[in-house]
Amino acid sequence: MRVIVGICLILLFAFPVQADQTLVMARSDAKAGHVMEVLRETLPEYGYSVAHVQRCDGGMAEFDYKTDFYRVVFFGKVEEVRRILARHPEMSPYLPLKIAVIAENNETLLAAMDPRALSPMFPDDPELQLQLSRWHSDIQAMLEEMRQLKK
Amino acid sequence: MRYWSCLFLLLCMPLYAAPDGKTLYEENCSACHHFRGQGGIGLPLSVEVLSQVSDDYIAKTIRHGRPGRIMPSFPKLSSAQVAAVVRYVRSWTGKPGPVFEAAKIRGDAKKGNVLYQKHCVRCHGKDGSGEGVGTGVTLSRERSFMVMPAALNNSGFQRSASDAMIRDIILIGRKSSNMPSFRGKISDQEVAHVIAYLRTMEPPAPRKGSEEWAGKPAYVMESPYDLETTVENVKQALAGANFRIFPQRYLEQGLTDEFSVNTRQVAIRFCNFKELYHLLNIDPRLGTVLPCRINVLEQNGKVLVISANVAQLATLFNNQELSEVGVLMEEIILAVMEEATL
Repeated sequence: MRVIVGICLILLFAFPVQADQTLVMARSDAKAGHVMEVLRETLPEYGYSVAHVQRCDGGMAEFDYKTDFYRVVFFGKVEEVRRILARHPEMSPYLPLKIAVIAENNETLLAAMDPRALSPMFPDDPELQLQLSRWHSDIQAMLEEMRQLKK
Repeated sequence: MRYWSCLFLLLCMPLYAAPDGKTLYEENCSACHHFRGQGGIGLPLSVEVLSQVSDDYIAKTIRHGRPGRIMPSFPKLSSAQVAAVVRYVRSWTGKPGPVFEAAKIRGDAKKGNVLYQKHCVRCHGKDGSGEGVGTGVTLSRERSFMVMPAALNNSGFQRSASDAMIRDIILIGRKSSNMPSFRGKISDQEVAHVIAYLRTMEPPAPRKGSEEWAGKPAYVMESPYDLETTVENVKQALAGANFRIFPQRYLEQGLTDEFSVNTRQVAIRFCNFKELYHLLNIDPRLGTVLPCRINVLEQNGKVLVISANVAQLATLFNNQELSEVGVLMEEIILAVMEEATL
């Protein structure tokens, strides 16, 4: 029985394969404003709070640079941030987590750093590595939801 | 036991199912190449381009990527999955792709160099890096060319393109990138010389960041001053380096209520919009690491000044131009941090 359970678990975690990427990205058919709205609703469903939204396009427009909708959404769980920073203050530049929402005409590109890219820098902390993998899974799942959004 | 067996079988099913090229493409490629290969950050996979490249070339390109040119490698995709993606992409053209001989074409690289300087250097550049800033067709590059000149010196290209395929492209040309046909303009032997020269090309050695900080997630410096003084010092140093400073935030701000937020963890966000605009044109995904930020944390009786290791961070994008900027930014940020903690 244990062997079967073990095999099942291995298979379960083996399926999300694919790219050797350091960014997590998705393209959505929906317009950026709509994606932004849905993303703000989706983040709490995964247990995250939206810390704030940075309007990169606004800043650039102030300086007369033409740009389309470009936002960066900061999000996180305060207890995770506190727990990790207590051990690793050098993780502070990467927290809260963030997702960039970029308009491409009537579609939207979403991009986030793959938190697992930081794993090799913390080889002696399996707990942090697990946390980085969990964040990756959540970001990937949320971006997949955005990818499935219809116009 | 029966339930476990069923679960086991259920989980094994995808192992035996044929990979779905469309789904794989949409999950892994569409963000950059668009849903039907229209292009975006990634190059357009137009009918013309697809009609000039073999399935083998596409498969190897997926497998090896283009180091330093945004396109990542996909070493974890199985051969069946790569083949499924190739089939799906190929289905857009409605006909099979060309097949090229794998045999090497022999030529004289010295003679090829002379021909390259005469006919190719204007678009492909002196070292074969391709011309222009960025890649893709939207924010990140000029729209006058649908497909920018290939980076001939890229190891991914060198490993993916057969000599025979390169010969065909030289002879036929490529309208979408204004590449003329050289049929009748240079002889078959001269084409062979050019190919021999292309095979000697290597990408320039990338500039590397400071060795002291290599492999570390962040630059961390201890400040001899209290938190408030250190924050002011950082702001002054940033202003001196021509950065615009955004309103100050606490790291936890927005994640918890205003009474519980840790006010001893300050994030100083800054930007140079002119540089930002330029960088977003190189790679619009840069927002994933924006805005630039230096944190000042009071922890265990120490005041720490911390910034992301930008030289390391820039390498995440597999974009050589951005990596170079990351090395320059590292120098600036380290100078700011040193000035603030002197």
